Amino acid sequence: MINTTPMDGASPLFKSEIVIVYAIALKMLLGDRLKYFGLIAGIAFAAMLIAQQASILVGFTKQTGAFIRDTAQADLWIMDPQVRFSQDHIPLREIMVHTVRGTPGVQWAVPLFQGFVRARMPDGTNFTLILVGLDDSSLTGAPPLMVEGALTDLRRDRAVFIDAGTSAKKLRMKNGGNRPMQVGDTFSIMDHQAYIAGSYRSRTSFFWEPVLYTTYSRALTFAAGGDRNLLSYVMVKLLPDASLEQTRALLQQRTGLAARTNEEFIQLTADYILNETGILMNFGFAILLGFAIGSLVAGQTFYNFTLDNLRHYGTLKAMGVSNRTLAGMLFLQVAVVSVLGYGIGVGMGSALGLLMSSAGLAFSMPWQIPAITALAILLVSLLASWFSLRRVFALEPAVVFKG
Amino acid sequence: MSLLSTSGTPVVSCRQLRKNFGSGENQVQALRGINLDIYPGELMMLVGPSGCGKTTLISVIAGILDASAGECQVLGENLLTLASAARTQWRGKQIGFVFQAYNLLPTLTAAENVAIPLLVQKLPRSQALKQAAEMLQRVGLAERIQALPAQLSGGQQQRVAIARALVHQPPLLVCDEPTSALDHHTGHQVMELLRRVATSANRSLIVVTHDARIFPFADRIAHIEDGLITHIAENSPALIKESLHVA
Amino acid sequence: MSHSIGRTGRILVPLLSLTGMAMMIYAVVAGDETLPVAPPAAQPAASPYASTVAGAGLIEASSRNIALASPLPGIVQQIAVQPGQRVAAGELLFQLDERQIVAEIAVRKAALQVAESRLVEAQAAAIESRFLLQQVKGLSDNRAVSREEVQKRESADAVARARVNSSEAALRQAHAEVQAAETERERLHIRAPLAGEVLQVNIRPGELLSASNSAVAAVVLGETSLLHVRVDIDESDAWRLPHGGKATARLRGNAALQIPLQWVRVEPLVIPKQSLTGNSTERVDTRVLQVIFSFERGKLPVYVGQQLDVFIDAASAGGAGQS
Repeated sequence: MINTTPMDGASPLFKSEIVIVYAIALKMLLGDRLKYFGLIAGIAFAAMLIAQQASILVGFTKQTGAFIRDTAQADLWIMDPQVRFSQDHIPLREIMVHTVRGTPGVQWAVPLFQGFVRARMPDGTNFTLILVGLDDSSLTGAPPLMVEGALTDLRRDRAVFIDAGTSAKKLRMKNGGNRPMQVGDTFSIMDHQAYIAGSYRSRTSFFWEPVLYTTYSRALTFAAGGDRNLLSYVMVKLLPDASLEQTRALLQQRTGLAARTNEEFIQLTADYILNETGILMNFGFAILLGFAIGSLVAGQTFYNFTLDNLRHYGTLKAMGVSNRTLAGMLFLQVAVVSVLGYGIGVGMGSALGLLMSSAGLAFSMPWQIPAITALAILLVSLLASWFSLRRVFALEPAVVFKG
Repeated sequence: MSLLSTSGTPVVSCRQLRKNFGSGENQVQALRGINLDIYPGELMMLVGPSGCGKTTLISVIAGILDASAGECQVLGENLLTLASAARTQWRGKQIGFVFQAYNLLPTLTAAENVAIPLLVQKLPRSQALKQAAEMLQRVGLAERIQALPAQLSGGQQQRVAIARALVHQPPLLVCDEPTSALDHHTGHQVMELLRRVATSANRSLIVVTHDARIFPFADRIAHIEDGLITHIAENSPALIKESLHVA
Repeated sequence: MSHSIGRTGRILVPLLSLTGMAMMIYAVVAGDETLPVAPPAAQPAASPYASTVAGAGLIEASSRNIALASPLPGIVQQIAVQPGQRVAAGELLFQLDERQIVAEIAVRKAALQVAESRLVEAQAAAIESRFLLQQVKGLSDNRAVSREEVQKRESADAVARARVNSSEAALRQAHAEVQAAETERERLHIRAPLAGEVLQVNIRPGELLSASNSAVAAVVLGETSLLHVRVDIDESDAWRLPHGGKATARLRGNAALQIPLQWVRVEPLVIPKQSLTGNSTERVDTRVLQVIFSFERGKLPVYVGQQLDVFIDAASAGGAGQS
């Protein structure tokens, strides 16, 4: 009459018991609006914190490489070995362009200038900008999209391009002009007159200074009167059948300079900036904190939920529900709130992030972030249910019997 | 010690039952050698001050708690040797529980609450709900089948709990202070119900209480003090009969 | 039903969750800025050879660019040629103001005439004194003319002859002075030293051309039917240069236009690289070897002074430093 075999879990009857008891578990969960919403809010909060903080960190990381990605028309960047990040200006000898061109495996090579210069707006506002000089003949390395004007407008006399996305904020005349600089304006860069011939759109950059594009030789004139070696980078396109490593080794041997791929340069820049600015530490800490707080909130909420329901689990246990089934019930409850909370959390994180990124702030969510968030939430849920389960398994009769 | 007033094979038979909590210097002896027999159709009350070991004793008898030493045969099963998982199943089938705080699942309707023991016994849901409705009718709650516990009065909730305890026809009912949360009148009604519905099918009841007003419902009253049964009082059948007619 | 969530709540939360996940998927798929890589305005020049020595080339005339100046200071009076015009050797290019020298010539010509008349006068006097001398010299009777008289006439004759000589010299001098002035005048006419093309004219009539101000050439001339390309090769690449090797030049801005080049010579002196930005500041840390190539101008849209990207086939014949 009494089935005492421990293998009762294999019987189909046991399964039907589970199905029915699961329904009870769900009813327990959905029964209390306050606790149900509290649980979901806790998990959602945790998921949002983790996903959002991580996305901001990834966003910052991506922003540090924005210039390289914008300019990534070639395969290799030739630079001084001491260069630490993409805005680090350590000049090369200009003839290096030709040395690079003469290296086997190189299809073409063009010079690129990039450096900080001081400028003055018509109303007298002083500002620092990042000047990018593109190879005069090919204009290789141009920003991704032109908003006003065409790329070839850069060949016009004294022409520079401004960033259409950020000029309203970063190129604002503050000393009386009280408007952003626009196409058609003239201003002076290191006492040389410059004419805004067009505007472009590019990736949001980590660096605050506005980025202006001009031609290489004009950039040299602007930057130092044209009489010094100011070549920042040589951009190298490899022949389709050339071996990257062989060509790179040859280039490094012939020029004595470093040759980096776009990805390596992005990595170098990101590493330097994240470490030097402390962003990595801060955000790593923020993510951990988010994870800890979120986990604590979610775990605590769920643990409390279990504690509140401990008498009911005890009652069920007294009425013959096995530990295994109770565990199943708990897991089901955890799973439901976790999945629902996770969805709402990452949704809120994404929505906030999209809002933020449309406001120009750092946000980028590769698929790994929701995945890692899911893992983290799973971990929290498992931990919470494990603690809860211990209480349910070690059920004191007093819990059931006392009022 | 009084002599056994009821004949036949005892449903519960405890001999020198001991239960210790903790170990070493902190060890507390909750049961210090209980000898108790409960017979079919008998309503046994356990009374005594708080902390005397009443709850521990019914926990052991109901198979919720492991005893430390002694012997405890319940419905032919030696609980001290029965494995935990098997005991859980055994409990689900053989024991009905009535709790002081009713312990109804607040999110389930009366019928669903009553159906739980049947669901645990793997009855199909529709059949379980049908039997639960029948049982609720027998305790006088035919109208409130779909009500949630919060919508019922204390007495009604306890009647739902009694229906739940009885629905799977267990031979032994364990009741923990079933009337202490109720007023005198309602408590009396609940005891009447227990007395009538439970013992009519030759079912045994163990009722833990310290409510002296319901003592007349008992066949026998075991007084427990400090982990030991000090004496067992026996009510005359006349008194029992009278108590049933008072309400 | 006060505590339990209603039907709406039961649907709302999963719905919210689903919306959230959809939002998350959107953020993952479309959240990042995806911007295209801009194509360059013109394809950068690529080497046609497997092994290359590359350098920047500057187009010059095959005669090199001849910067003509004036030997004399003066006001520019007339310009005979226009930029782009072909001229023969000796053809007038421009002329300075010559009024002063013309006047000088007139004066000197007058002086010449004076000298000429002086000579005639002296010759007449010499004839007369010779006649007077012969009158007395032929007489046998010494008493008819005194001895003193004869001596007197002899010396008069000698003086007259000397005067003729001196007048002749004066005439020659006057002549030479006229010629000198003519030469001076010719020096104000600047003529082409060789046949070629006028590349630049930097003067306007009326401007003062000073001989000492040689920073800007008055006229730049050069032979352009055959053009030279002067290629700067980094000194560290110099050992790879094959003497007499093949080379190709690509036009900046249109790398599809490529010009095959003929080897001319290598300038054996390594020099500091000149900046091409207009001023003459030297980039002292870079020294270059200059190699000269030539090509027929033909119909190519290239001009003297233009920069080219030059690729020299390092593996081609004659490689001097190849082994």
